[in-house]
Amino acid sequence: MEAGKGSLDLEKEVLNEGLCTSCGACVDICPYIKVVKDRVAVIEPCGLAEGKCYDFCPRTPTDIAALDRRIFGKERSDSFLGSYISIEMAQARDSQVRSRAQYGGVVSALLTYAMDLGEIGAAVLTRPFNGGLMPTSAVAEESSRVLEYAGSNYIASATLAELNKGMKQPGDAIGVVGLPCQIMALRKMQASKHETGAKGVKLVIGLFCTWALSYKGFCEFLRGKVDPSSIKRIDIPPPPANILVVDTEAGTIEFPLDEIRGLVKPTCGICFDMTSEFADISVGMVEGIEDWNTVIVRTPEAERLIEKAKADGIIETRPLEETRLGHLREASLQKKTRAIGEIVRRTGDERDLLYLRLSDAERGKFL
Amino acid sequence: MSTVKIDQPGKSVLMMGNEAIARGAIEAGVDFCAAYPGTPSSEIPESLASVAEHFGLYAEWSTNEMVALEAAAAASLSGLRAIVAMKQNGVNVCSDFLMTVNLSGTKGGLVFVAADDPSAISSSSEQDSRNFARFADLPLLEPATFQEAKDMTKWAFEVSERVGLPCMIRSVTRLSHSRGNVKLGEIPERDRSARFEGVYIAGAFAPAQHSALHQKLERAREEFEGSEFNWYVGPEEAKFVIVTSGSGWFYSREAVAALGLDAEVGILKLGTTWPLPERFIIDHLKQATEILVVEEIDPFLEQNIKVLLAEQMKTLRPIDVYGARTGHLPGFGDINQDKVAKALASIRGLEYWTRDEGYAKRASELALPCLPPRMPTFCPGCPHRASLWAIKAALKLDGRNGFVTGDIGCYSLGAGPAGFFQLKTLHCMGAGTGLASGFGKLGQFGFDQPVVAVCGDSTFFHAAIPGLINARFNNSNVLMVVLDNGGTAMTGFQPHPGSGYDALGRPAPVVEIEEVCKAIGVEVKVRDPFEVDQAIEDLYDMLQDDGARVMIFRRRCYLVESKEKVRKRVFVDSEKCIGDDCGCARFCSRVFNCPGIIWDAGAKKAMIDEVVCTGCGVCATLCPSGAIVVEGG
Repeated sequence: MEAGKGSLDLEKEVLNEGLCTSCGACVDICPYIKVVKDRVAVIEPCGLAEGKCYDFCPRTPTDIAALDRRIFGKERSDSFLGSYISIEMAQARDSQVRSRAQYGGVVSALLTYAMDLGEIGAAVLTRPFNGGLMPTSAVAEESSRVLEYAGSNYIASATLAELNKGMKQPGDAIGVVGLPCQIMALRKMQASKHETGAKGVKLVIGLFCTWALSYKGFCEFLRGKVDPSSIKRIDIPPPPANILVVDTEAGTIEFPLDEIRGLVKPTCGICFDMTSEFADISVGMVEGIEDWNTVIVRTPEAERLIEKAKADGIIETRPLEETRLGHLREASLQKKTRAIGEIVRRTGDERDLLYLRLSDAERGKFL
Repeated sequence: MSTVKIDQPGKSVLMMGNEAIARGAIEAGVDFCAAYPGTPSSEIPESLASVAEHFGLYAEWSTNEMVALEAAAAASLSGLRAIVAMKQNGVNVCSDFLMTVNLSGTKGGLVFVAADDPSAISSSSEQDSRNFARFADLPLLEPATFQEAKDMTKWAFEVSERVGLPCMIRSVTRLSHSRGNVKLGEIPERDRSARFEGVYIAGAFAPAQHSALHQKLERAREEFEGSEFNWYVGPEEAKFVIVTSGSGWFYSREAVAALGLDAEVGILKLGTTWPLPERFIIDHLKQATEILVVEEIDPFLEQNIKVLLAEQMKTLRPIDVYGARTGHLPGFGDINQDKVAKALASIRGLEYWTRDEGYAKRASELALPCLPPRMPTFCPGCPHRASLWAIKAALKLDGRNGFVTGDIGCYSLGAGPAGFFQLKTLHCMGAGTGLASGFGKLGQFGFDQPVVAVCGDSTFFHAAIPGLINARFNNSNVLMVVLDNGGTAMTGFQPHPGSGYDALGRPAPVVEIEEVCKAIGVEVKVRDPFEVDQAIEDLYDMLQDDGARVMIFRRRCYLVESKEKVRKRVFVDSEKCIGDDCGCARFCSRVFNCPGIIWDAGAKKAMIDEVVCTGCGVCATLCPSGAIVVEGG
């Protein structure tokens, strides 16, 4: 984490290069940086040479090993999946939760449970569809509202901005659910010397992510094909289906993934993290089983919560088969290799990995 | 009590030049006044509107200057006396009608006041409207004193009726907006009725009409030869004569006195400057060998005099003509006694300083550091500041190098720091929308920048509607933002068709801007610019659409709003203010820069200047720390 850079550097190195993930870490800190939909912009330079915006951004230089040490107390044992204690399959016991959720309902069930236990008082969440294609983020302060935010949308929203707004009124311990880029930014916020609402975050649930779509591009793609306000669920089934499935009130429509790939945000092409490696718990799909999740438990606090949830009948777990674990590792490796390749293509220098600060040994694994 | 209605003939009253013109119209028994506001002309119709009920005359604010002239011409064609007043840009607007009503002719006295703004103090252009008199073959009068402003206006109605043409009066800011003593005349008993008869069709045998027009102008010339508004002062048979008109008269007299040249230099002051009173001028230049022509803006008189001198080569001796062409006077901008004296001194080989040069230098050195830098800015509480911030933010978020085409109104200041330098073009009324309709059709040439046209509510009615219709008709990609503050704010908040009251303050039907837009068939949204984040998001969304679209940012001018409402107290909670730190960096006092917000450099906190603050509270919604508090919400 380099010190001494500010909003103009952020604009030059990240925004103008199309590398913004629209995670929201730089938004609502100040009046100068704004977000609308998934577009972030520096409206006017603030004049300060150094700022939180640059410090928090997941696409400004980030020392991966230092973040690992800070969160997990050690460097990663697994170069492909990051630090973890266990990897299992899990699902919410409550079938109603599962029916609202994208897959197994583990995220919604755990959050609700953590709020009911009083471990967190509020959760920063993202509502996938809110009358349109654009997801919206909000702070849920009652566990009964968590389910409203269940489900995934393949567009990134500036969810972390809620923490910057929240900074003005510090409150309870907070839980956050986010994409890998958001989780990385959140951890950078927590590690920052600056004051931030992220310091009150006690539970970090990360989602698996391969890429996100540009709002504008996807909107234009769907125009005339799907009414965005009727969308109930969007999903990408595991290979070899190679399709994007849109469930609407009027029925289900499938689009070949090859038509969608051009709409992927360019920044996703340089993303090194598929499984939210800096989360307390990472949650994703299980290949081929619709109503289960893959759950990577990374911190002792998370392990304790999971065990307690199991004991209280909130979730149930099963071991993840070796072949599925193998596929997960392979997918993660693929994303990393692709990202490093793209970064080197951009910089023309194998030692210059833009935002990624990796040890020579780690870097060598993906070149 | 309005000075224009004092019914005491012979009494001397202190009057603004524009009031004197209005009084002249009243003394001529004017029946009808129509105008569109424009500095420096607005007080003429305002003065007449203020006494309209008293005298039973009709006064209106028209949607634009052309409509005003046409409406006034209708009164003239019905036998009434009518006056129109406008700034120089307005003359351009109504020029098409002017160039045809001269052919059709008029009946009742029709007086056309063009108030020019030398140095463009309140204008986007500097122009000399006298050229239009020559262009349209119309009689032209130029008052030089406040008394003349009144007397000439009264006489102009008679000239107009005698020659059957509109009679033009050219004023300038110095005359329109200064005050001087005027001796009042009688206010006539009014007994007139309107009736239209006859045929007034321009273009029926236009060349014949044009020829007849020249004959009418010859009649005006004959009348001008004996006019009391042309005179000569100075030594008999002066070799050096200043020829001047309008504001040049006072400056010339002072300059001659300052240089002690009263015994050598004569001044030929002309009040009727088109067509020129040729015999009168030749009579007074018979002994002259040098003349200096003193006038404001263009060398109009100078060139016409030169033509006359060329024609009189055999009657007159050779005369050197000094003025703008010789570089002795500027030929642009306003003039003053100093400039005239310098010209005179230079021609005569005299030394002249208004003040000792060392003194001037010392004064500047002492005074300048004490003056705070003051950029032209929006008033405290002005909705335009928030609107332009929202536009800037939306364009920046959009990221396609979008830009704003500007228009004429308070928001023209958006070209500078007050509006975050957002306006990239600025021309005349309605030009922003017309330009935008063109930019929006350049896609086939690789143009991919979004275009935002801003225009005020009054400007919308005045000249922007055709541009919007053009954009709709030709399916141009334009986002028009109407900055609707409820009136013609820049010129003094005169009403317009959307205001709901007329020139006399009586209730009037409202023409809703959004209804006009809907009828044109464009998407239209209305938002409060003080809900800044919402305004930014909605503008951003509209920028993503194609075709012609309209966003109306509606919030009343706070100068008016604050007179009607109890002002809320706004203050800074200095505990919460983070000042220079990351997260703010003095946004309110440095960037948003409302004059009501001050930076306390000692305490490193923002402060509200409670004398200046209007209590609008928009800064409280923008403060990132919640440090600005509006008392009572």
